[in-house]
Amino acid sequence: MSDHVSPISLYLTIFFALMILTGVTVAAAYVDLGQFNFPVAMLIAGFKASLVVWYFMHVKYQSHMTKLTVATGLFFLAILLGMSLIDYVSRGASFQHQLPATTPDGVIQPPGPASH
Amino acid sequence: MSNAVAQADSHSHGHAHAAHHPALQHHFDTMSQQKEAAVIGMWVFLLTEILFFGGLFVAYMIYRVWYFDAFAEASRRLSLFWGGLNTAVLIGSSLTMALAVRCAQTNNRKWTVNWLILTMLLGCVFLGVKVIEYEDKFANYEVPGPSYNWLYHEQHAAAEAHAPTGAEGAATEHRELSLTPDQLQRTTQIYFSLYFTMTGLHALHMIVGVGLMAVITWMAWKGRFDAQYYTPVEMSGLYWHFVDIVWIFLFPLLYLVERHM
Repeated sequence: MSDHVSPISLYLTIFFALMILTGVTVAAAYVDLGQFNFPVAMLIAGFKASLVVWYFMHVKYQSHMTKLTVATGLFFLAILLGMSLIDYVSRGASFQHQLPATTPDGVIQPPGPASH
Repeated sequence: MSNAVAQADSHSHGHAHAAHHPALQHHFDTMSQQKEAAVIGMWVFLLTEILFFGGLFVAYMIYRVWYFDAFAEASRRLSLFWGGLNTAVLIGSSLTMALAVRCAQTNNRKWTVNWLILTMLLGCVFLGVKVIEYEDKFANYEVPGPSYNWLYHEQHAAAEAHAPTGAEGAATEHRELSLTPDQLQRTTQIYFSLYFTMTGLHALHMIVGVGLMAVITWMAWKGRFDAQYYTPVEMSGLYWHFVDIVWIFLFPLLYLVERHM
């Protein structure tokens, strides 16, 4: 068996990188980046996930077969998210402006202090 | 002659030793082949998990596009302190899990067990924090259903604003809402439905993970693993890291929709 044993220092480095990136993503959320708040948050999360997959889950040291298996999953996830988003976004303006101003029948009125 | 016999003897002994590792199943040629099969099998399972959660992420994504303002409003009702703490706890548990696997790789039985126990404890801390968060949602009528009440939280805060600490109630006044209270009452329930479904399913995975760790810890304690065979430790580690990754995405998606207002 020629399993790769990563040094403890590598695991600690990844751990601190993940912690710092968590701080970065919280800090970035408090800055108004306009349209880019969401992509930045997802980019950071994607990078964190990659670190976990690559080093903690040892994919770096696995066979091409395993790497291909992992890539296949991400590929189909991308199709699931991408195609669904294209479908719904291309249907036109955001639905929230079409919401009726009043609560329609059938929606239960809030109880307690909120009832007016 | 005797030399040759001794050589042949040592060769067959060495071969027999490698072939007869107690953990090697008869349908595999070598330990590394067996390990490779387990790794790919585990990843295929994780792919089904990715697509399982993927469906919820799609639902989240579409409703977020449709009702962004409602998601932004509702997201601010979550506590960044507890969410951030839980993120740190889970990342920490991933570190202890990785170290447990490393100790198994290096024949360190005692610390394999210790790191696994620590991983379980961190998992329980995560679940405990989740209980605190859920309890807060129930207390504030923020659980979707007949008793859902979007306005309760603010009215509660406004009522307390006359008391010493009224910072939160005042802060919500600054933002001009694009949605009427009735619209918020309806649309924020979608956010909280997704919040409870996604974090609930994640928490369920955490509970399964802790159970898995308990079994693996017991096996490690019994001395079932060595540097040649520690596949169950590594495989449950893959599961644990996967659950961590799901949270890495859930945290910004649920807690950080729009915090800069």
